Order: sequence, then structure tokens, then C-alpha cells
Amino acid sequence: MGTLRKYLAKPEFSILLILAAMLVLAAVLQRNFFEAKALNRTLNAFTPLILLAMGQSVVIISGGLDLSAGTALSLLTCVLTSVMHKADPVSGGYAIAAAFAVAIFIGVVNGIGMGYLRIPSVIATFATSFIWLGAALFLRPTPGGESVAWFKLFYDVKVYANAPPALKTFGSAVPSALALVLLGCLFWFVLSRTRTGRYIYAVGSNNTSAYESGINTGLIQLKACVVNSMFIFLAALYFVGQNQSGDARMGDPLTLRAIAAAVVGGIALSGGRGSVYFALIGALILSLVNKIIFFANIPYAYQTLVSGVIVILAIASSQGYTLYSRKSMTRRGRLV
Amino acid sequence: MKVLEASGIRKCFGGVVALANGNISCQAGRITGLLGANGSGKSTLSKIIAGVYRADAGEIRFLDRLVQFRNPNEARRNGIAMVFQNLSLVPDLRVWQNIVLGAEAGRGPFLDDRQARRVSQEIVDQLLPGLDIQRLACELNPGEMQIVEIAKAISANPKLLILDEPTAALEKAEVKSLFRCMRMLAERGVAINFTSHRLWEVLEICDEVTIFRNGENVGNIDFAVDGRDPEKIVSYITGVSQKAPVARVSRPPSDEVALKVEDLCYRDALKNVSFELRKGEILGIGGLAGQGQHELLLALAGCYPGVDCLAEADGKRVRLTRPANAIRNSILLVPGDRELEGLFMKHSVFNNMIFPKLGLAHQPFFTPRRKYRAECEAAIKLLSIKAHSLDMPVRALSGGNQQKIVVGRWLSFDAKVLLLADPAKGVDVGAKRDLYRYIADQVREKRVSVILYASDIEELVECCDRILVMYEGQVIATLEGADLNEETIISTSMKVG
Repeated sequence: MGTLRKYLAKPEFSILLILAAMLVLAAVLQRNFFEAKALNRTLNAFTPLILLAMGQSVVIISGGLDLSAGTALSLLTCVLTSVMHKADPVSGGYAIAAAFAVAIFIGVVNGIGMGYLRIPSVIATFATSFIWLGAALFLRPTPGGESVAWFKLFYDVKVYANAPPALKTFGSAVPSALALVLLGCLFWFVLSRTRTGRYIYAVGSNNTSAYESGINTGLIQLKACVVNSMFIFLAALYFVGQNQSGDARMGDPLTLRAIAAAVVGGIALSGGRGSVYFALIGALILSLVNKIIFFANIPYAYQTLVSGVIVILAIASSQGYTLYSRKSMTRRGRLV
Repeated sequence: MKVLEASGIRKCFGGVVALANGNISCQAGRITGLLGANGSGKSTLSKIIAGVYRADAGEIRFLDRLVQFRNPNEARRNGIAMVFQNLSLVPDLRVWQNIVLGAEAGRGPFLDDRQARRVSQEIVDQLLPGLDIQRLACELNPGEMQIVEIAKAISANPKLLILDEPTAALEKAEVKSLFRCMRMLAERGVAINFTSHRLWEVLEICDEVTIFRNGENVGNIDFAVDGRDPEKIVSYITGVSQKAPVARVSRPPSDEVALKVEDLCYRDALKNVSFELRKGEILGIGGLAGQGQHELLLALAGCYPGVDCLAEADGKRVRLTRPANAIRNSILLVPGDRELEGLFMKHSVFNNMIFPKLGLAHQPFFTPRRKYRAECEAAIKLLSIKAHSLDMPVRALSGGNQQKIVVGRWLSFDAKVLLLADPAKGVDVGAKRDLYRYIADQVREKRVSVILYASDIEELVECCDRILVMYEGQVIATLEGADLNEETIISTSMKVG
């Protein structure tokens, strides 16, 4: 009983509770919500935000904030579509290599600004966000570009007719979107079991203490930024697979949504606290909000307003719940 | 065997000489005490040895090798571990994660958490049995934090352990268990360097003591040879041979009531606290650490909106729900933790001193700077604060001077009730005497009433007219007259007899 109560008192529990409530509501409003096809479509729509929120949460946990995530995503889609030629399937490989290099570069530049030059992360990444935007506009002033056909694999295996049969069976069991998210989870699962994973929390929680313990805090912040750009890289692969084109303006609105998703998922903006997997759940909640509003037939003019209110309610109720359950436990003397 | 020999160490910070000529030697298996007033250079020397600062001149020999560490981590790898004065745990990591932080055992690229937990558990069992290593560092109380901090230093198996005021946040019982552990380490051949402002601690634990004054070591007393003579040590510290009792108030308190509190309750921390504070009285609050003393002072200062009580100041009802109410009724708080609650560390002395004024109800639209500057300068002179300018940032001052500023900013107010939360914490003997003398002057001349909480029972006994002993948020005894002595306070606060 005691351990159960302890789990109930965790903020994570209230977030799961909110997610469950959202799922029920969505299922009520959209009758076929839980059918495989609809579920797949839902997940497809959510994937970029989920990946961005997970990456963002790593930076937030390390004590920073990345305002350039959205434009970095745009830039990567532009790089991918500029290197690729529709007629040449091999060029897809080059494009991936080039975009991967650019992603690393983006992470390193942001990381140097935050970790070594000690520019406040909000300012550093606000500045770099314009650089990524500028570069993206240079490559692709208007949305477009070419993509090899097999890039569709990143979106949905079924859409690509020439896929090998083994991949097809895998694709029908695990949709590409889910595979990408699972890849991201696996990446963090491995990383969180290394020194770097532990140190990201330490640096975000108290930079000076971490430094005095002999941790290279600058390098850890840089690594956190690179981890983030890996997540952005995955999101870019997905986006190009979906749209077969690049767009210099598509990513920017996602930046703040990803930050909000991380916060809904219980990541403390002060750093050091929260779980990357719960950023995923935060992104699910945030996306479900839009879906519910859409299916609830709320007039378009009110949609944004209502979604904002729901986000605030979600955050407030999760914090209020935590406070309440902590208090009641303290009264019983179980938690001091 | 000589583990460390430092000679002729010199260090300046922007033209100010912090350490002119520091010399120290540490032997394996011996505990060397470092004593001196705040700003006498002992902390600087410790930090140079541990690699935090680099010396401008002088040489350090560690295990017969000339060394110059670039950072604390390099020193730690070479066998010098330092426990810092300010707590340096990572709040969101667990106790065991903190203990091994920076030196995690690993299997390949992955962390070996089982090994880490085992090692941490072993060390914690020696220091503070019963501490759950799964707790988050931010949930610990200051005493436990300090123990974990020391556990972290020990986990690196140092040859030389530098403890810079490790006992400032500890209760007596915790100090005792720390001392047991220090002795155990010394028996294993670790050289220990111990800094404290509490004389009895140094007398009890150290084998020898090196005394600093104005950036130089002025004396070295080997207790085995010269005996444990506190008078001699104090004379070295202050440079004058004199006993240092705090000036007692000669006038007895009047019968007028300055502050009357009935049935003060706050959550679980305070239960039905009632007392009367007379004019010109120094009322002490004693008891074990963390029994609600701190909360009581904060509640009186109006820091808890949910507080429930009947309070009268000068016969007038006061609602203690906002700090501004308390200040307007001249109930002024000198907070305990100057870094967290008392001062804006990055701001200037001047801004810190005038800040409480800006919150008053009747303020001129434009701040009268010149007038305030004159007042501040007077306060600085009165308290003999060592600040070369009103515009220097507060964090550049030494701890004792910072504490004086926290007190000094209320100077221009017409204080009726002063709430002092451990004002002499981390302050050296000389500054402590200055502070208490100033407070005693205020009590005698202006008939100010004082509520004093001090973690050091000696201070309470020396200053107070009456002492309330608290236990689990309640006042369990009021001691006065002949009962005002250390033994009675300790026995009542532990509920013995």
C-alpha cells in the first residue's frame, strides 16, 4: 500500500492520468480512434512533435533551452531535398550523410554557444535560429526540391511499392513513425545508462556543483545539444519522407510547441528534473488536444484559444495533484 | 610522514592580498586544525592546495613532489579531496549518485550502478547509519547534506582530506559522529586538514593547530607538546591577549510587553506557540536543530501567509501574514542563510543596505540617494564593516562582513523587535563579538527587544535573558535565571529529566 501510494504521489502519475483522460475523450469523439488505420494516421501526425519534444527535453534537462530546434528542422529538410535527385536512388544516401553532418554541426554550434561561450541558451539559440533559417532560405527559397522515392520508407512502408517483402511485413507490424519514435527512445535508453546521461542531469540541476565534482560541464551541454539535433535529424527524415519536399518555413512553429510539450510532460524548465520519455507523453497530450478540438466541432476561431486553455489546465492540474498528494502523505507521516 | 608541505604561498585577488605568506604542513594520520578570523587567509590557502585557485608565489610539496593543480578534479585524482564550505551537492540526484559523481565506476561505456550503490552504502554506514542513499539530495537537511558531502570526498580515497568548516551546519550529535569518522580516517593514515570557527571542536579533535591572522600564519600549537589552552589560541587569533565574553546587557528588561503571541500555529511546523516578549529583553530560542525555531522566526516576520495566531505589538493587533506588515510594525528579521535569504550577492553593498527601505509605505518618488548613502556610510563605520566602497558587490566581502550588512541594513529603521536567525553562523570570533556587542548596545540604549535563535548553545547562554526550548514545533520549557546554562538547555531540549 505504501509503495503504491508513493507511486501515486509522483507527478508522472498525474501526467499519465491526463493522457488517459485525453485518450478516452478522443475515442468518444472519434468513433474509429482505436482502429489500426486511424491510430496509424494519428501517430503519423504526431511524430515530428514527439521527436522534437524528446530532443528538446534533453537540452532542458541539461539546463538549457533550444529555440532553434524548429528552424534547424527546416534547414535539415532543405539540405536533404537539395542533395537528392529523384532519378538517382543512391543520392538518398548522400543526402542522409550530408544532413547528418549538418545536424552534428548544428548541435555543436549551439553547444559551443551555451557550454563554452556561456551565452544564455535562450539568446544563443535565438540567434542561431536565424542562421539556420537563413541557410534554409538560401537553399530553398520556396518549398519544393526533389526526393528519391525510397525516402517514403521513413513515412510509411506501404506507400513505397518497391520495398523488399521483409521490410513490408515489418512495416505493416511497426509503422515507420512508430519505428522512428522507438529509435529515439532506444537512443536515450542507451545514453541514460552512460556517464553522459547521468551528467546531463547533474549539470542541469546544479552547474557549479557538477563542475566541482570534476565534470566537464561545457562538454556535457554540447553533447546535450548534439543529442537534441539527432532527434531533429530523425524528424527531418520523417518530414521529407512524408512530403517528398523541403520547406524553409515548416519547422519554426514547432519550436515552442515542443517546449510546451516537454513542460506538459513534467520536464522542469529550471533543469535537472524530468524524464525524456515523459516528454513523449507530453507531446501526445498536446497533439491530442488539437485532435479533440477538431473532432469536437469547435469553431475554428476558438480552436487556438481552447487549446491554450487546455494546456494550462493540464500543467496546473498535474502540479496541483502533486502538491495535494504530497501534502496528504506528509500528514500521514509517510513522506517527510 | 609528511604528506603536505606548503611554504610561502601568496595570493592576491585584484590587488587585495588575501594570503601574504601561508605555510602549513600536514602529517599522515594527524588532524591539523586551521584557525583564524574571517578573511585571514585560511580558506584561500585550503583552496590553493585543493587546486581551486593558483598561487601567485610559493611552493606546494605533496608526497615529496612539487605540485600545482589546475582544478579540484586533478587534485582529487592525485589524492587531495576538499569538502567545500558551500554545499556542492547536485539537488536532483540521489545520495549515492552524488557520492560517486565524477568518479563513477563503469562497465565499458555504461555505469555500474550496483557497484556505486554498494560503495556509497558502505561509506554512509560508517558516517551516518540509517541514511537512505536513495533519497534525493534536495530532500536532505543541512546536516545530512554535509555528511553526504564528506562521504563524497572520502569515496575518492584521499591521502589528504581538507574540511573547510564542515561543522557549521551540523548539530552536536552529528559533529560527534563526524569526529568519530575523522579519527577513523586518521588511524588509516589519512592526513586531515580541519577548519572551524568553534574553538571546542578544534580543541577536541585536532592534534595540532595552525593559526592565521591577516594572511599569514602566526602560530602553530602542537597539543601534545604545548597542551590544549584555549586562551592562547584566542590570543593568537585576535592578536591581543584577552578573553572574549559577549557584553551582557546590564539593564534588566522592563515589564512592558513589546510583542505578545498567542497560539501560533503553522502547518505541522509550529503548534500553539505562545510567549510574551518584554521591552529590552533578549529572548533566546533553543532546542535541537530543526524543531521549528527557524519557522517561528519566519512566521513572526510574516513570511508564511497561512500562519494562524493572535499577535499584539505594543498592545496593537498585528496580522503576521505579510512581511510588509511585520516591517511596518518594526518587527525586523535578520535571516540565517545570508546567501539564500539575506542578500543579493551580485548587487552592491549600497543596494543591499537600502533595499528594505524601498518597500516601506511612505517612500519619496525619487530615492534620496545622497541621504541614504550618508546613512549607509555611518552604518558601515558603526559596525566596522570592511568594505572599500559602497558600490562593491556584496559577494566580494568575507562572510562575517556580509552578515554585518544583513544586520546593518536595519540600522536606520526604528527597530522594536529584532528577529535574529543564527546571526553568527560562519562568522569568526572577532566579528561575532562585534555583532553581539552592537545588538546589546541597541537593547540597552534603544530598548529594542530581540528574539535570538543560535545553533551554538554557548551564544544563547551568554546573551539571553530567557530561553524558550522548542521540541517538534512546541515550546516545551522556558528557562531563566539559574537555569540558564548549557547543561539544562541540552537536557531539556532532548527531553531528558
